[in-house]
Amino acid sequence: MSGQSIWDRLENIPREILYGILLVVFVIPMVFPLGLPVPISSNVETWYDTIEALPPGSVVMIDFGYSGGGEPELGPMAVAVYKHLFRKDGIKVVAMSTSIEGTQLWDRAMDEIRPESYDAVYGVDYIHIGYIAGTETAMAAIGTDLRATTSTDYHGDSLSQFSIMDGINGAEDFDLLICYTTGGDQSEGWVRQWVTVYGTDYMCSVLAMMVPTMLPYQDAGQIISVTSGAQAGEMESLVRVPARGIKSADVITLTHILVIIYVLIGNVAALMKRGGNS
Amino acid sequence: MELSLVIQIWMAAIFTIWIYSIAFRDNDFFKFAEYTFVGAAAGHSLVYGVDNIRRYGWDNLMGGAYLYIIAFLLGILLYTRYHPQYFWVSRYPLSVMVGIGIGLSMRSIVTAEFIAQIKATASMSLLRGDLWTIVQNWIFVILCLATLYFFIFTIPEAHEGGLGIIPKIARYGMMAAFSYSFANTVLSRYNMIFGRLNFLYTEWLPLTGAIIALPVVLALLAYAMIRKSKG
Repeated sequence: MSGQSIWDRLENIPREILYGILLVVFVIPMVFPLGLPVPISSNVETWYDTIEALPPGSVVMIDFGYSGGGEPELGPMAVAVYKHLFRKDGIKVVAMSTSIEGTQLWDRAMDEIRPESYDAVYGVDYIHIGYIAGTETAMAAIGTDLRATTSTDYHGDSLSQFSIMDGINGAEDFDLLICYTTGGDQSEGWVRQWVTVYGTDYMCSVLAMMVPTMLPYQDAGQIISVTSGAQAGEMESLVRVPARGIKSADVITLTHILVIIYVLIGNVAALMKRGGNS
Repeated sequence: MELSLVIQIWMAAIFTIWIYSIAFRDNDFFKFAEYTFVGAAAGHSLVYGVDNIRRYGWDNLMGGAYLYIIAFLLGILLYTRYHPQYFWVSRYPLSVMVGIGIGLSMRSIVTAEFIAQIKATASMSLLRGDLWTIVQNWIFVILCLATLYFFIFTIPEAHEGGLGIIPKIARYGMMAAFSYSFANTVLSRYNMIFGRLNFLYTEWLPLTGAIIALPVVLALLAYAMIRKSKG
């Protein structure tokens, strides 16, 4: 250790120290919120405007296609969008899950949304038709004939007893499709099985790391808006329902500043060592 | 608050701490949490699998849709792969599954993945619009063409001499794209950490006894890490 230069030591900072500092930077803004501004990006604005433009009587399909690991990122976005939909008059929201954990996560989201506070009634204004296995096969089957694919909601109650399902038989009966997902199979699958085949309007919110792979679909006009769950704070600002998303903005900003500092330290140390060696 | 919910929160909180402890050092608590998670996920999937068979297969069969017998037979045949002599039979249901998957994808993949993307790139305006858009579009088209060149013309001569500038541009473009993805990955991971820390802070710590349990859990973790590194 004594023979090491300062640059060697900076390049080899123990990970316990790096993660320890990171943990402190995570915790401080959680305990003492800074209230940093949340600028609204154009994609989130487009998403908001698309929902705003839905006329009464519109039917929206929502795929809860994310797993438990993606809940902290996609959950706040799903909650904010649901609140926006419930606030509008006469919008019917049909949910399904292409992820095995989707139904539980939908329940969790409903606990947070509290539909009764928007006078939304299960079976009249919203419903969950359950987890449909098969991903793209499920999307194709639901699109072709929803009733033949599943005849019950996620509780096992017959769909025919719910008024929201009157006249809804397949993809052509939906005015908008929304997908929250942690998997490319789902976000891209909907483009292949619904957008291309039926021309359904489609928006998706994915993990931030998936955004680069989804943007070409948006540029090609196949997706109206692609957002990452990390933009939930922006959606909460627009819908005026501040919650977890806005709270995370402070934390994410500060931790990213820390990452930039780490990157700078690592690069400066490497450059200085290279200069010293040459 | 219901007792079952309190137990759930306590378990979730302690497992969260144990799982994230791997960031500092390997320890037995992490391993226990990891194996428990894998086991619980497998159990959860199994229950859902059985429920799916009942919901989409058995109920329909009992309802008079006798064609579902074929689906059941194909499903059962999948298990022949565990038999050393008859494992080849499992290839039949597998081929049906793969065939259906490919058929469903192929019906729209050409339009969704090729034609629409090519059309969007070809219709980009390189001369009209505001300056920023024009610059963006030029960069996009140059990088797109350079990357196509990089992967299509793989003979060494196409990457040398004057032509070498094209794959070089492609490499820079791809590195920029990969770094964008990586930066977004960091963002995703931090959101996940925030989600769990927020859970600990807002749901677990306000519970009775949690504030006392936290240092105990951390002390036990530290002990397990030290013991592990000594061993």
